[in-house]
Parts: sequence; structure tokens; C-alpha cells
Amino acid sequence: MSSAAIKLDQVTKTFDGKVIAVDGVTLDIEAGEFFSLLGPSGCGKTTSLRMIAGFEQPDSGRVHVGGQDITDVPVHKRDMGMVFQSYALFPHRTVAENVAFGLRMRDVPKPEIARRVASALAQVALTGLEARKPGQLSGGQQQRVALARALVIEPRVLLCDEPLGALDRKLRQQMQFELKELQRRLGVTLVFVTHDQEEALAMSDRIAVMNQGKVEQIGSPTEIYEKPRTRFVADFIGEINLLDDGPKPRALRPEKIRLGPAAEARLAGTIETANFVGGATLYRVRAADNRAFLVRETHAGERAPRAAGDAVGLSWNDTDTVSLEG
Amino acid sequence: MSTTPARLSPNRVPFDAGRAAYIGLNLVLLAFLLLPIAIVLVFAFNPMPYISFPPVGISLRWFDKFFSSSDFMNALWLSLWVAGCVLVLAVLIGGACALALARGNLPGRSFLTAFFMSPLMLPAILTGLALFQSYLLVGIGRPVWGLIMAHTLVAVPYVLRTTLAVLHNFDRRIEEAAAVLGASPTRVFFEVTLPLIRPGVFAGGVFAFIVSFDQFPVSLFLVVPKGETLPVVLFNYMKFDLDGAIAAASMVSILLAIAVVLVLERLIGLKAYVKL
Repeated sequence: MSSAAIKLDQVTKTFDGKVIAVDGVTLDIEAGEFFSLLGPSGCGKTTSLRMIAGFEQPDSGRVHVGGQDITDVPVHKRDMGMVFQSYALFPHRTVAENVAFGLRMRDVPKPEIARRVASALAQVALTGLEARKPGQLSGGQQQRVALARALVIEPRVLLCDEPLGALDRKLRQQMQFELKELQRRLGVTLVFVTHDQEEALAMSDRIAVMNQGKVEQIGSPTEIYEKPRTRFVADFIGEINLLDDGPKPRALRPEKIRLGPAAEARLAGTIETANFVGGATLYRVRAADNRAFLVRETHAGERAPRAAGDAVGLSWNDTDTVSLEG
Repeated sequence: MSTTPARLSPNRVPFDAGRAAYIGLNLVLLAFLLLPIAIVLVFAFNPMPYISFPPVGISLRWFDKFFSSSDFMNALWLSLWVAGCVLVLAVLIGGACALALARGNLPGRSFLTAFFMSPLMLPAILTGLALFQSYLLVGIGRPVWGLIMAHTLVAVPYVLRTTLAVLHNFDRRIEEAAAVLGASPTRVFFEVTLPLIRPGVFAGGVFAFIVSFDQFPVSLFLVVPKGETLPVVLFNYMKFDLDGAIAAASMVSILLAIAVVLVLERLIGLKAYVKL
């Protein structure tokens, strides 16, 4: 399967002439990359994806796929695969007919359609369910049909709009692994829209964190987590302590803070709450100067060794803090 | 436990005055709807030459009279023919209208919707009179196609309403999924949109057929002597004879309407559309 790079060049989209959904976004997505658009609802991630798909036309800026300007190419000629949050399966067609749809639109000969549908269904472990209607499938199975339907046309680009959002936690995790594995095996460029930072960190090669129509930061999951550039990114990804005592705000991850005897520490404080999260405990500590800190302490499976009301000392290395732009 | 005796038998529903009243009201309404039909049924099979009660026996003489009268038969065929044409036209026009209103991003959409629904709000007798005068004014007289057009005008809102209801609940991502898979807008329409809205359109079509087949006030102005639809013929007949033939004709009308609903149900499954 060949894959293609995607480039958004200063793309802007306004709705009803006033609501700015996407504001001058530039993205360079490499061929074969697992790229996530991450942000809260209304940040413009879905609109960006819909502009790549061709459902929305940018007010200004260009969209390139595989080095070719496709801004004016209609949806049905873009040759992309897409998986929707609601799956958007054809309810009046069987599983096999759903998967065959894209091939039929491409006038692929019937024997080849049958062969490719069978292999696509095998790929997502749905062999045997060909004759079912989508309404007779579980959410996870519908998700797989949607995936098979998108992949069977061997698209250059696979677009996913919160595809795992409707699944329960366990199934979602399993599908995360499967999707990631499938993407790596096929080498397809995958653009993944999500508001779930854990999901984005777990699956992506690179992440673009979006806020209010703009890209706040682009980087690998480690970069985004370890070196957030803005207060928004630091706050949106995982738990964070914001230190406002210097000339610039700084961010400090809860696991970078050590708890110990108050005498040898930077700050003295009292534990307010202790949340056992399995293998680690997340403490909320009230420091002597009345600031609240989140501290994550890992331990070997035992329940929290400290309890609310315990006096503790907080220490950290200055090298573990990250300066933020604002 | 002894203080809360109701808990001892959790499966037995205690008598509930509200629920009883609700069921009672429904039964009364049902009786109000169905009893007249039962009475017609009785008269249709009663051999007496006038409407009387209690019936004195069972006979098919009124059905025989109805089916052997060329006046009744011509009217029946005309009514069926007109209703059939109205069904097709109303489905085409109402369906297209609904699509345009739901999808077209037209300015003044709610005004347009109200406009297309307005034949439902006007008294049909007014519609009939207005059309009669217009036809006279334009000088087209009272041809059968004029009658079909008039019925279609009254029937379109039914199709419009049922189709709009389906389109309102339509997940447009399904169409987007088809487009991204390579279907041109035309193919999206025929492969996805049309099959999914079809139950709504045809449910409206059934209404259109029945509205036309039953239509009296509009037809009254627009039929010509010897070219009258069944309701008009029945009305005229009733002015002079009030015998069982009227009841027999009514039974035939009812059975025909049921037949149309059943056939369409079989063909396209109106069940998908009961939440109308």
C-alpha cells in the first residue's frame, strides 16, 4: 500500500462568517506517519480533518496530499479512507456489501471484489459475519467493519475521527493496539482526531495539540509530555503543577516531585488526599505557603504508604521544570 | 416489613386509578372510531332495502348491486386511477420538495415549509372552489388531469411531512462515508440517501393515495357529470336512495385502503416507519 504525505498550508475555516473554527493552521504530515490532532472539543481538530477529507472547503490556504494540491478536488475523487466516530455504516447493507462499497465505486471486477472483501474482513477478524447487517453487530464489530471498509480500497491516507470514542475502556485499549499494529503493517498515513490525551500519547508518532483553532505545539508524544511549550499544552496533557513564582510560568510533572522528610525538602506541606491509582498514588499536597501540588509516587503494588494529614516535604530538581511561553 | 405490605408481593401491580382511566379512555376512543364501521358492516349485509336495525339476515345483494352498477364501477375505476396517479406524483413532488427543504440551505426555509404544508390548513372546500374558479378563468374546463393535479396539491403535504421526518433523523455521516469511498453525489443519492428515506416517502405515498381516494370536497367542484369519482357518486346516490349499496360501497372502499397499506407494507416495510 502506498502512502502519501499531507500538507496543510495556512488553512483557515470560518463558519457562518463569524465563528473561526480553524485559524491559519499549517501541518506537515509525513507519509506513513501516525499523526494525531489532539485538543478539547471545538478546538478545530475535526474541521481540519474534514478539510483534508474534502467535506469542508477552506476559506483560505491550501491542502496538499502526495505533493499535489487537492484543495479543489471533490471528496469522491480524493482516494482516502475514513473512519467515523458513529461508524456511519450503511444500515441497509450487509457487512460484505459495506466493505465492498468502495471497490464497487471503483468498478473493480466482481471476483476481485469478493477476494479483497474476504481478505479485508480477515484482517479485522470478522470472517463469518459477511451476511450480517450492521444493526446485528456489537460496537466493536461495527468499528472493525468501518475500518475494513476504509482500508479495502488501499487508500493513501486513512482519516479517523474519534474512531474509538464510542467504545468502552477495555475494548478501546484493545482497538488502540490493533489499529496501531495495522497502521504499521500497512504503512498508511493515518490522521487521528481525538480529545483523549492518553490515546494520542499511546498511539501517535507525532501529535499536534490544538486550541481555539490554532496549533499550540507539534511534536512526538515524549516531547509534548516532557517539554510542553505553552501553559495550555502542559495543562491539557496529563497532570501538571504550574509554578508561577519566577519571571516565566514553569510546569512540573507530578512524578518529578519527591516526597520525603520535611527537614531536607524545598517545601513543607500536608497531604490532603491520597488517590490510589494502582502501582502508584496521586497525592494532593497543601504546601506551607498554601499552594496545592499534585505528586505521583510509584510503589510496588502496596496501597498508599502515606495518608491524608501526614506531614511531608516536597523536593524536585530545577532541571525537571519546563518554562512555558504563557 | 409488615408496615409496607405492598413490598410483600413485588410482582403484583397495585390498582392504579390513573392507569385504569387511561386504558378506559383508549377503549372509548377505539369504540368511537370502530363502531361506525361495524354499523356499516351490518348494513352492508342486511337485505332490507333501507337502513334498519336490528338486521334481519345476511345477504350479498347490496354488493351485487354495487358491482353490477356501471355508474359505481366507472366511478370506482376513475377513483383508483386518479389515486394511483396522485400517489406517484405526490411521492415525486413531495419527496423532491422535502429533500430541497432539508438539504438545500434555502433562504426562508421555514416559510417555504409552511407554504408547502398550507394545503393541509386550508379547508378543502375552499381549495376546491378556488381551483374550480381558476380552471374556469384559465379556460381549461374540468379535465381528469385537472382533478389529479388538485388531489396532488392536497396530498403533497403528507409525503412532505413523512419525508422531512426521516430526513430530520438522517445521519449525514453515512452519506459522507459513501462520498469518501468514491461515490459521486448522484451515486450517493441512489445508493444511500434514497434507500434510507424510502420508507418515509412511501408512508407518505400511502396517505396520498387514501387522501385522493377518499377526497370529496375538492372533487365536488372539479368532476364533470359521467366523470365523477366514487365519493361524489356515493354522495349523489345518497341524496335519493339510502339503501345498503352505500354501505357495501363503503366496505369496498375500506378494504381497498387496507389492501393498499398491506401491499406497500409487504413491498417496502412500513414497520421501519411506525414512529411517525
